[in-house]
Amino acid sequence: MLEYFSQGLVIALQWENILFMFIGTILGLVFASIPGLTFSTALILMIPVTFGLDPVPAISVLLGVFAGGMSGGSISAILLGIPGTPSAAATVIDGYEMAKKGEAGRALGMAVYASVFGGIFSLLVLMLVAPQLAKVALKFGPAEIFALVIFGLSTIVSLSGTSLNKGLLAGMFGLLLTTVGLDPVMGLQRFTFGQSWLMIGIGIMPVMIGMFALPEIIETFQRAKNNKGVSKEPTDKQVVKASFPTLKEMKSTFFLMIKSSAIGTGLGAIPGTGGPIASFLAYDQAKRHNPKCGKGVIEGVGAPEAANNGVTGGAMIPLLTLGIPGDSATAIMLGAFLIHGLAPGPLLFQNYGDLVYAIFISILIIYIMVLVIQFFGIRLFVRVLDFPKVNLMIVILAMTVVGSFAINLNFGDVLIMFFAGLLGYLMKRYGFPITPLILALVLGYTIESNFRKALVYSDGSLDIFVQSPVSLVFLILALIMLLAPLIKPILEKRVKADKA
Amino acid sequence: MKKSKFMIIVLTVLLAITMLAGCSSTPAEQPTEPTEPTETPFPEKSMDLTILFGAGGAADVIGRKLADGAAKELGEPIVANVRTGGGGAVGYQHVLGQKADGYNLVWNSTSICVTYHQGNMPADQDYSAFRGVAKITEEASAIAVKADAPWANLEEFVEYAKANPGKVTVANSGVGSFNHLTAAAIEDALGVEFKHIPLDSKESVTALLGGRVDAMVNMAFDAIPQVQAGEMRALGIVGTQRIDAMPDVPTMKEQGYDVDLLMWRGIAVPKDTPDEIVLKLQDAFLTSANSDEFKEFAKKYSLTVAPTTGAEFDAYMAEQDEMIAKLMDKIGLKKQ
Repeated sequence: MLEYFSQGLVIALQWENILFMFIGTILGLVFASIPGLTFSTALILMIPVTFGLDPVPAISVLLGVFAGGMSGGSISAILLGIPGTPSAAATVIDGYEMAKKGEAGRALGMAVYASVFGGIFSLLVLMLVAPQLAKVALKFGPAEIFALVIFGLSTIVSLSGTSLNKGLLAGMFGLLLTTVGLDPVMGLQRFTFGQSWLMIGIGIMPVMIGMFALPEIIETFQRAKNNKGVSKEPTDKQVVKASFPTLKEMKSTFFLMIKSSAIGTGLGAIPGTGGPIASFLAYDQAKRHNPKCGKGVIEGVGAPEAANNGVTGGAMIPLLTLGIPGDSATAIMLGAFLIHGLAPGPLLFQNYGDLVYAIFISILIIYIMVLVIQFFGIRLFVRVLDFPKVNLMIVILAMTVVGSFAINLNFGDVLIMFFAGLLGYLMKRYGFPITPLILALVLGYTIESNFRKALVYSDGSLDIFVQSPVSLVFLILALIMLLAPLIKPILEKRVKADKA
Repeated sequence: MKKSKFMIIVLTVLLAITMLAGCSSTPAEQPTEPTEPTETPFPEKSMDLTILFGAGGAADVIGRKLADGAAKELGEPIVANVRTGGGGAVGYQHVLGQKADGYNLVWNSTSICVTYHQGNMPADQDYSAFRGVAKITEEASAIAVKADAPWANLEEFVEYAKANPGKVTVANSGVGSFNHLTAAAIEDALGVEFKHIPLDSKESVTALLGGRVDAMVNMAFDAIPQVQAGEMRALGIVGTQRIDAMPDVPTMKEQGYDVDLLMWRGIAVPKDTPDEIVLKLQDAFLTSANSDEFKEFAKKYSLTVAPTTGAEFDAYMAEQDEMIAKLMDKIGLKKQ
């Protein structure tokens, strides 16, 4: 192992490798921070570039995009309230609140710290216990994944804000949207109205871009009209200082960071789950840690960011040990491995131990780069807030249109984006929270396909969900989450009554 | 003032990047000029190749590589655009909705037959709405069990399956997927009845390794790393010949079972595309497919490069369509 380590170090530290890591990281950061572009787009664009590179730089540049992208998604989430990637949707809640309070710099600092923390945590897990964790991940069949995702969905309770009913309604509507398109098991068309562009379903990206960005844009224009003086918005002129969390803050959030990173790494390792669910589960933990979550506190920013970066190392576990990508980003990376004649799988460590260690070391260097680039970047990013908001929103409006078209080169997605935006505006106006809808939309397909696949195994019997202990535990946890808001007041009353 | 100028520059750059991403599709339709089709030089502008499956996946990567080679021959770029959805239906319909002028191509596959019979294409748009430019690759599949399974070879497996009809669980890559059809064809040939579990190609691997299914029918490509690592045992290869990466595994035919189903991929265009344009495209794609560079590349994905001309491809598609229709009827998926 030490031999591999030193050989890996030599490969990883070649200037070519460092250069490509840097390019990848910057690209990931930029793509993820622009609403409408995701780091998946950047990964796909980079694939042809990697054809001509040596194996390690080829994989490094993709890893850079992946890690940079996971961390960069928080930038627009915090500054503009528009998540750059689905994994950053949970970051918006507290991040944007902090920005409104004039603490954008602090939020960004926390996001960077948490991203790097989560990334390096997951790297350590990947290096130390990858084969063992992969064995655990193999135990997750459709029934277990279904229960796990239902548990993830139950965090709607903590995302609903003031009205649980409205949150559940929004969530249910999100689930309903996922039924459009081809059904996940039989491939039958549902609610497509004979339109071929609807066969692909209601995409997460166009809805997310529309729901987060358009209401902001509409409101900004309304405010500008009311204020007359377009560029003189007092709330937007703020002294923003970029600042990393203090030692005291680091100490108080340490366990939350560990927990969130572990959630991210674990979910990353289970193929078919991934970033968005991890970040919402971690956000729920943050809420337990600090009940003020939702009003703009660093815990609410740190937890989801640690979790979604934890996914980076986690998703590499099944890829490297089993040859099975953990999510869509690692699925693209699998291509880069294959092109260079490295078949990921059980034999990769045996045959190419030095390269595997070179990849590990590269991930570490990439996270150091993320830290440094973001540290200097924050000063630059926060200047976005100095810019007249109306002008900024015009640019963003253009980006949302082009961005939603670019996902699938499908004009239907642009229509979906506008509809989603309008709906989002109305929901906001009437006090319906948007995040539950997004969460349900992200998870709906996974829930349905795993539910139905599990039923194929069991010949239609629901017993399969309670017979598997893993599935049973997650379902009970989900039930507790859902019932807690009902039971809690009753219990509290009793306690008071007892005391009295 | 300075600050806002700076921000304008930054935002313009960002906007430009976004716009670039939106530009990866083909430029707007050129105004139609009433020129004689026979005298039109081809190609005069870039061509659009529709890729039907996920960006970064095998179909995408191989398709792009092939297109690069063909573009060099033709002297104009071929832009690969991923149009996923509906098991290929979205991409096929896109291409059929464009002009039959040779500038709109599709990297097609067995899916052209499957999506049609599944009922996801309009009634008049089966494989014959296209004409073949060239068949390019073939890919074998395999039936595999876990390394510690009680069956040492296909014979023992068949014996067990015969004794337990409908009990042996076999993972495939989804209802109506190529591997589902292969599993059905294997059932026919072996005279057994499986319980089909529709997963996807990667989930099949985890399901088998995790002990949730007895066997899987999957592309050989997905079985190879596991077989080489001693995690799985391949019982038979569905294909014309043995595979270099697992030379000890006999084909189904060698073992006396007549299963013949190969996953093929090729280039097709709408059927009204003029002959001379199809021939030009055919030559370019065949040259690209026969290059050592492409062959080397395809090998990494366990694909066999088996090019044929467009005319041969048309006949082959017709033959395959009939076979696939029969198999889909058997598993109750044939809608049209």
